[in-house]
Amino acid sequence: MKKVMRLLNVQLWAMLMEMLSIGDFRKKRTKVLQAGLVLFVIVLSSVSFAYAYFLGKSLKAYNSTETLPFLFMAVTSIVVLFTTMYMIKGTVFGFRDYDLVMSLPVSTGKIVASRLMLLYFINLFFVLIIMVPMTAAYGILVKPGFIFYLFGILTVFFIPFIPIIIASIVGTVLAFVSMRFRYSNILYMVFIFMIILAWIVVPFFLQGSGEALAVISKVITGKIKKIYFWADLYTRAVTQADIAALLIFTVVSVLAFLLYSWVVGKIFIKINTQIMTIRHKTDYKMEELKSSSPLMALYKRDIKRYFASPVYVLNTGFGMVILLILTVALPFININELLGEIPVTGTMQEVIPLIIMFCMATSCTTMASVSIEGKNLWIIKSLPVSTYTIFASKILVNLTVLIPAVLASIVIGISFKFPLINGLLILISVISFAVFISLFGLAVNLNFPNLTWSNETVIIKQSMASMISVFFCLGLVAAQFGLLKAIKNFCLSILIFICLVWLFNFILYKRLKTTGTRQFEKL
Amino acid sequence: MLRIVNFSKSYKGGKIAVDRLNLEVDGGDIFGFIGHNGAGKTTTIRAIAGVLDFDEGDILIDGVSVKKDPVRCKKVTAYIPDNPDLYDHLTGIAYLNFIGDIYEIDRTERRQLIEKYADAFELTADLGDRIASYSHGMKQKLAIISALIHKPKLLVLDEPFVGLDPKAAHTLKTIMADLCRNGSAIFFSTHVLEVAEKLCNKIGIIKNGKLVAFGPTGEVTGDSSLEDVFMELVESGHKKGTVQT
Repeated sequence: MKKVMRLLNVQLWAMLMEMLSIGDFRKKRTKVLQAGLVLFVIVLSSVSFAYAYFLGKSLKAYNSTETLPFLFMAVTSIVVLFTTMYMIKGTVFGFRDYDLVMSLPVSTGKIVASRLMLLYFINLFFVLIIMVPMTAAYGILVKPGFIFYLFGILTVFFIPFIPIIIASIVGTVLAFVSMRFRYSNILYMVFIFMIILAWIVVPFFLQGSGEALAVISKVITGKIKKIYFWADLYTRAVTQADIAALLIFTVVSVLAFLLYSWVVGKIFIKINTQIMTIRHKTDYKMEELKSSSPLMALYKRDIKRYFASPVYVLNTGFGMVILLILTVALPFININELLGEIPVTGTMQEVIPLIIMFCMATSCTTMASVSIEGKNLWIIKSLPVSTYTIFASKILVNLTVLIPAVLASIVIGISFKFPLINGLLILISVISFAVFISLFGLAVNLNFPNLTWSNETVIIKQSMASMISVFFCLGLVAAQFGLLKAIKNFCLSILIFICLVWLFNFILYKRLKTTGTRQFEKL
Repeated sequence: MLRIVNFSKSYKGGKIAVDRLNLEVDGGDIFGFIGHNGAGKTTTIRAIAGVLDFDEGDILIDGVSVKKDPVRCKKVTAYIPDNPDLYDHLTGIAYLNFIGDIYEIDRTERRQLIEKYADAFELTADLGDRIASYSHGMKQKLAIISALIHKPKLLVLDEPFVGLDPKAAHTLKTIMADLCRNGSAIFFSTHVLEVAEKLCNKIGIIKNGKLVAFGPTGEVTGDSSLEDVFMELVESGHKKGTVQT
């Protein structure tokens, strides 16, 4: 156990150090970054609490408060499912320091245990952020007895087990199947996209109609119960102090996890050897070579790098995939039937730019585009290209990724028959916002670079740069909504938003030309 | 070809990596840069390659300041680091083509040069594979080929022989000699003193960031071997040769 804890300790610290850029030459920023992480936890917990409290309050009016722990448990399980699916390759299988760790005089079982515990603790972090505020909100609303808090806190530590097992199996099978093909990463991404989309689309078709929130919640609850009865067991244990449910929930979770750990221990070396074996054909014959301009060469390199990383694509491309599907599907959908009584030039016109921009805000690739260079940074730094050409290529990649948003705004404008001027304003605002996202992400990454990462998930999902860029971009989307509500004139509010965004764009452009270039040269 | 003038570099925390370094390497020179671990070799090499920012002094390549016009300097320079971390997601040929695009090498000439050097290093058959599948030595060979295809006037190499098999090491030495005959300059660091002694016409020894010996190889070694001179210098701290400070 001592060795397992020592290994876990090293891995957790390595991950934290990477997230906070400790050990980097920007040591003086460490405290700021640590404070940022604390702030991040506080903000997320507060949002979780507010969401739980207001949802619970609405549910209370319909005597359905017991649905709250159930829904939160289900949401938490989904978070754990996706986090594990993203992380299994790189944490338990195919991790970078595999050779080093496996050469240590520690049994495979202990290494597996430390890796699975690492996965468990990462997920527990998210579970605590979501479930503890919910427990508090439920406590305020329902004023349950002591046993609710006892069972609530106890069960929190068992929630991650089952979703981790399910996601690990799915993630490993996907990684295993996809690696047999030449473009294994692309296939792996397609698989994961399909699973996530199925997760979203299936409940949409299952869902019945209902007006009141409580009815909707009950409908969703009923559907989830069918898909994931585990959440129901949890709810019974916590809200009804059902000892049998509590025992089944905790004991089965632990036993399943132990069984899973034993199985992984048995196949650990075999799977890792298979996953880390790279195709090597050794039969190349010189062919005609295609040439490009230096900017295009950099762009091609950057776009290949982007698509070579499933974590990068899954984290920054999901919103765009949704918009792309919407764009392709819209011409075949009867809009009048879909909208019913909803006015096209009213609500829809206000909501659509928000939906598109929300998807765009989560599609910032530049926020990790400098950090992703990692140990390869020496290559672009030693090449005869200006720093701004390097920046331009990274910005172009982000703009390419955001193309579906532009297409969606055009197709939606035509399909919904928006007035020409309104449609044009939506299109211009989307283009302006795309430029902003690309410039802002790059500026943030130059301020918070991390070139010493060992797992790219750290710079893409968990870095300060990614958090700042996503939150700020979402903030700007909220500002657009605020402007609309304050001015109550669609065209004028969009016009002001466009002007505001271009002002930011101009400032960011100037900053990248001066400070940004200096920051890059100092890396 | 290369002039280093009063170059100093210190890192955060006050550690002086290189202290007022002055040296000159002419076209046709093979310059061996020698020093113990942490002496300042890699810092100097990275600054010459334009990879490392520095505050004091200047580095001139073909008369152009690395600080003032880095892009022009980099056009005539090739750099190979001690640990060639290349783009794992690209194939060998895609990487070489990328370098060809950046240096704007004519397509026909690019193909001829890739063929020439890849054959010389016996890497042609592997060029279609992803770099991730390459061994350390294969990556080193690919980095060397990428440095050679744009016919640099100055070749800067950090420990170039580490990881190369004996045949590839011999090929590299031959190519280095050929390049110098054609007027290029080579600046490389090594811990293999026998190689430096045989290959270089100029030697520089750096100790704790200061140049303690510099000049033609014969002048630096005198009647002793380079190994003896190096051991004597790093242990005593005397200066030898035409050292400029």
